[in-house]
Amino acid sequence: MIFCSQCGTSNTDDAILCTQCGHNLRAPLETSPAGGIQPGYRAGGHVPNYLVFAIVVTVLCCLPTGIAAIVYAAQVNAKLAAGDIAGAQEASKNAKMWCWISAGAGLLVGILWALLAILGVMSHR
Amino acid sequence: MRKLSVTGVNSKYAGLLGMLAAVAAGLAVLHAFDPATSGVFPPCPLLALTGWYCPGCGSLRAFHQLLHGNLRNALAMNPLAVLTLPFLAYGMASYAIFVVRGRYLPRIFVPAPWIRGLCVAVLVFAIARNLPTYPFPLLAPGGLLGLR
Repeated sequence: MIFCSQCGTSNTDDAILCTQCGHNLRAPLETSPAGGIQPGYRAGGHVPNYLVFAIVVTVLCCLPTGIAAIVYAAQVNAKLAAGDIAGAQEASKNAKMWCWISAGAGLLVGILWALLAILGVMSHR
Repeated sequence: MRKLSVTGVNSKYAGLLGMLAAVAAGLAVLHAFDPATSGVFPPCPLLALTGWYCPGCGSLRAFHQLLHGNLRNALAMNPLAVLTLPFLAYGMASYAIFVVRGRYLPRIFVPAPWIRGLCVAVLVFAIARNLPTYPFPLLAPGGLLGLR
C-alpha cells in the first residue's frame, strides 16, 4: 500500500499514478511526511493539464484556440493514465500555450472592441 | 536563498489578493447590473458582428441570475457555463489554497474520455444553439424561458 503524497489516498503497491488525483507516485522527490515541499516536487510530481483555465477561455469566447487547449488537457490525462510522464509534460506545455494564446487573443479583442464601442458612442453624440 | 523565497511568497500573496479583489469587484458589478437589460456590459463582438451565439453566450447573464439564486434562469441562459462552474470554482479555490498553504485540495483527475466528451459537447452546443428549427432555439440564451 502506498499513500499519495498529494491527496493521501491509498493506492496499490504497483500503482504508478494515484487513482484519486493522478499524482505521480514514482516522482523522484516527494513531499516529506511532515508536509513540507521539497525542491523538485513540482517538477517531478504532478503534471498540470490546465483544464480549468482551458474551459474558462473557451467559455469566455475564444473558440478555436480554447478547444485546442481542452484537447491538449485531455491528452495530458490520457498520457498520465498510460504512465507516459514525458508525453504528459509535453502535452501540458501545449495546453498551457494554447490557454495563454486564447487569453491573449480574448484580451486583445476585448480591448479593440471596447475602443470601438467608445468611439462608436462618441460618434453618435 | 531564504530571503528570496520569502519575497516570492509575499508577491504570490499580493497576486492572489489582487485576483480576489478583482473577482469580488466583478461579482459585485455583476450582482448589481443585469447584463440582459443594462448597458454596463458591452455586447459580445461575435454576436454583434455575425449574430451567432458562441458557446459562452449568455454566461454573464447566467452568472447574474445565479448571484440572485435563480438556478433555473441561469441554466436557461447558458447551461454549459452553469454546469462547468462547480468544477471551475473548485479548481480556482484549490489554487488559492495552494498559494496560502502550499498544498492543493485533492485533485480531481478527470479521465481523458470525459475531457474529449466535453470538447465534443462544446462544439455541438455551439452549432445547435444557432439552429433555427425547434427544439434547438431552446439552447440559445434564454431559450428555455421563452425569452428569445
